[in-house]
Amino acid sequence: MSSSVTVSPLTRIEGHLAVHTETEPLAEENAGHRVTIARCAGEMFRGFERILQGRDPMDAQQITQRICGVCPVSHGIASVRAQEMAYGIRPNHNGRLLQNLIFAANYLQSHILHFYHLAALDFVDVTAILKYTGADRALRAVKAWVESALSREDAFAAAPFLPRYEADYVKSDDRNVALLGHYVEALDMRRICHEMGAVFGARLPHSTALIPGGVTQVPTLERVLTYRARLKRVAEFVESVYIPDLLEVAQEFPSYFDIGHGCGNYLCYGVFELNDSGEKLIPPGVVIDGKWEALEPRNISEDVACSRYASGTPRHPSEGITEPEPERSGAYSWLKAPRYRGRVMEVGPLARVVANYMNPKETWIKREVDAVIGSLKLPVNKLFSVLGRHVARGLECRWIAAQASRWLDAIELDAPATCDFDLCERGEGYGLTEAPRGALGHWLTIEDYRIARYQCVVPTTWNCSPRDGQGQPGPVETALEGALLQNPEQPIEIGRIVRSFDPCLACAVH
Amino acid sequence: MANYSRREFLRMGTVLAAGFGLGRAAAPALADGLQRIFSGQKRVLWLQGQSCSGCSVSLLNSEDPGPLELLTEFMSLVYHPTISATQGSQAIDTIQKAIQTGGYFLVVEGSIPTKMAAACELGGRPLTTILPDALRRADLVIAAGSCAAFGGIPAGEGNETGAAGVGEFMQSCGIEPRQRLVNCPGCPVHPQSIVGTLAYAASKGYPDVNSELFTPDMFYKNSVHDDCPRFHYWQKQEFAEHFGDEGCLFKLGCLGPLSHTNCPQRQWNGGVNWCIRAGAPCLGCTSPGFARQQAFSFYRKGEKHHAVAYNEQDRKGGAS
Repeated sequence: MSSSVTVSPLTRIEGHLAVHTETEPLAEENAGHRVTIARCAGEMFRGFERILQGRDPMDAQQITQRICGVCPVSHGIASVRAQEMAYGIRPNHNGRLLQNLIFAANYLQSHILHFYHLAALDFVDVTAILKYTGADRALRAVKAWVESALSREDAFAAAPFLPRYEADYVKSDDRNVALLGHYVEALDMRRICHEMGAVFGARLPHSTALIPGGVTQVPTLERVLTYRARLKRVAEFVESVYIPDLLEVAQEFPSYFDIGHGCGNYLCYGVFELNDSGEKLIPPGVVIDGKWEALEPRNISEDVACSRYASGTPRHPSEGITEPEPERSGAYSWLKAPRYRGRVMEVGPLARVVANYMNPKETWIKREVDAVIGSLKLPVNKLFSVLGRHVARGLECRWIAAQASRWLDAIELDAPATCDFDLCERGEGYGLTEAPRGALGHWLTIEDYRIARYQCVVPTTWNCSPRDGQGQPGPVETALEGALLQNPEQPIEIGRIVRSFDPCLACAVH
Repeated sequence: MANYSRREFLRMGTVLAAGFGLGRAAAPALADGLQRIFSGQKRVLWLQGQSCSGCSVSLLNSEDPGPLELLTEFMSLVYHPTISATQGSQAIDTIQKAIQTGGYFLVVEGSIPTKMAAACELGGRPLTTILPDALRRADLVIAAGSCAAFGGIPAGEGNETGAAGVGEFMQSCGIEPRQRLVNCPGCPVHPQSIVGTLAYAASKGYPDVNSELFTPDMFYKNSVHDDCPRFHYWQKQEFAEHFGDEGCLFKLGCLGPLSHTNCPQRQWNGGVNWCIRAGAPCLGCTSPGFARQQAFSFYRKGEKHHAVAYNEQDRKGGAS
């Protein structure tokens, strides 16, 4: 007999997400349930696109950063790109480097936060700390705290780490304790990443220094050294802690290379501009049905058949409208459903890797990925999975940390990172970039020096999208359908699959 | 309590006291407050309305006490949507249990959609139906960030959800905000404002606040303009004309005169930088009017092109 399993709220992501599934028990008794239907519902709406209308266009890179406190810089970059296209300008040499460096810092922050503070508690057994006998000060403090909370029979003992779903966590106590130690260390690392971003971006979250055409901060030797000292620590952490931890979790849970496959189509806009011709460190690309094709932004549309907006035919974002209708029948999510050529697409670190791995013009990314999956002794198709997404994220940190060091070297000290520009009475522009969690686009129309239309199509809008007018489920819904839940009362598998996409719901709905 | 010595609490109390501009004499009281939260006497329940999680992320940037102390002991954080291991109906049970038990500090991040209940749901229920009980049973309510304090960007002109700050929502539910609500605006809120308010409230009770805005004086008394390191340029009328220039940033759009907060003293992200130092005009992100009016833009570059709903004096506030 089928039953329903709901995880609402799905915590340890950004924002308000509910996951509803229908499941069937397996024939064999107590063998678990199989998910037959999954629905992702975004549960929060603010209306940024409407709030932006009528404003001075230069407000946009500040207001849109507030769409998301985890990846504000991505929105800032998408917005300045859209404005730069409308104004007909490009950042100068320093402007481009400083924007990249602020963006890189936020990427590192976001990926480290995701693995350790959002995803890891699905795998790591925090109670192993009670068996800790070592001398690390921080771990001893955590142990004493858990012990004292438990001894007081506090109803909220060891919150926010307990309660949790009881499930198949990492088995070895030593390994759990080591991972917990790294959870603690990663708190410092992500804070340091934000300091790096602030060195050129004024502060994080929500960088005030980011403007069309560059960055207000003038790069001095002191600024470069302040960034570099922190980058060195973070890069060492990525190499000696983060990536080894990833591989350990992968070894402990190999079945997750076969779980959470997703829709199998991948979309990447490319990110980190290298020069005026728009060449990007991670180039754009699209993979549909296993075939690579060049990105064509005209192929993007948003469908609202199952979304809480006034219905209409799918629209390209340059003509998009956002008209809330919360009670519309058949609508089950505040997310729109973006599609590429009408197809469901996954975005994110894995999509960036696949879109470049499959590119017939071999990129450096293919060589890097081949080396890693060679050492893991895995066929490449195993990357299309929960663990594949985590591995792609870790590799990206390595690449970005290395590149950031080169960008620091290339800065022209004490020279401005801004360019002069005039606002335009009317104009259009769009900015395509990649947030840590995937392809991000802003589309802007200016009339009478004010914003006439602003539309954002955001990574998690793609990944957690509801069904469209054709009935096609979104990528996360697809990844959940067919998944096995060992214990439907404590469906830890749902969280593991959903979190592998690193959802950000405030982004997705905005 | 074996984990931290009195001396360590005093060290953190001293850092916080310096952050408040309270002087060293206040350090022992703040150390007491920290110790009291550490020992599990004060629970903190954190709920999100229409938020971007930026204030939560900002809180993680706290130092002295750092993230470890905050997460494991400092806050006795019974529920936080981005950090808690718990999820689904187990999370809802935890929240309900905390509310029933009472005696907690409630932190709200994000605005409340007063005209479109479906615009923010938690566990399938509108937040507006869960929040009144949570507010009533809290010992203290802290509105973290400008959205929770005053509505923020979600309450900007043209919004369709009726986004409002926690104080306005409390009044609509007949809950008296005086002596109960502390507004800690900022977009995002500075981590010291949240940690400091929690520590102060745990040791000494309700802080001195601005009688209209409910903002604690220790963080929000002076304007950015009053303490601005570029104030001498203002006095000499030397204004930056382009981004990246030296000089007072007022003509570029700086809203320092309208933004009451102590950014000039504590700066951001461990003191590595802050807006004015980076040449970025202050956006006025702690002011009640932050981002509210369409025609009141952050920057002044476009001013000559369109009729604006303000004059220069409006941007100067009380500054002359």
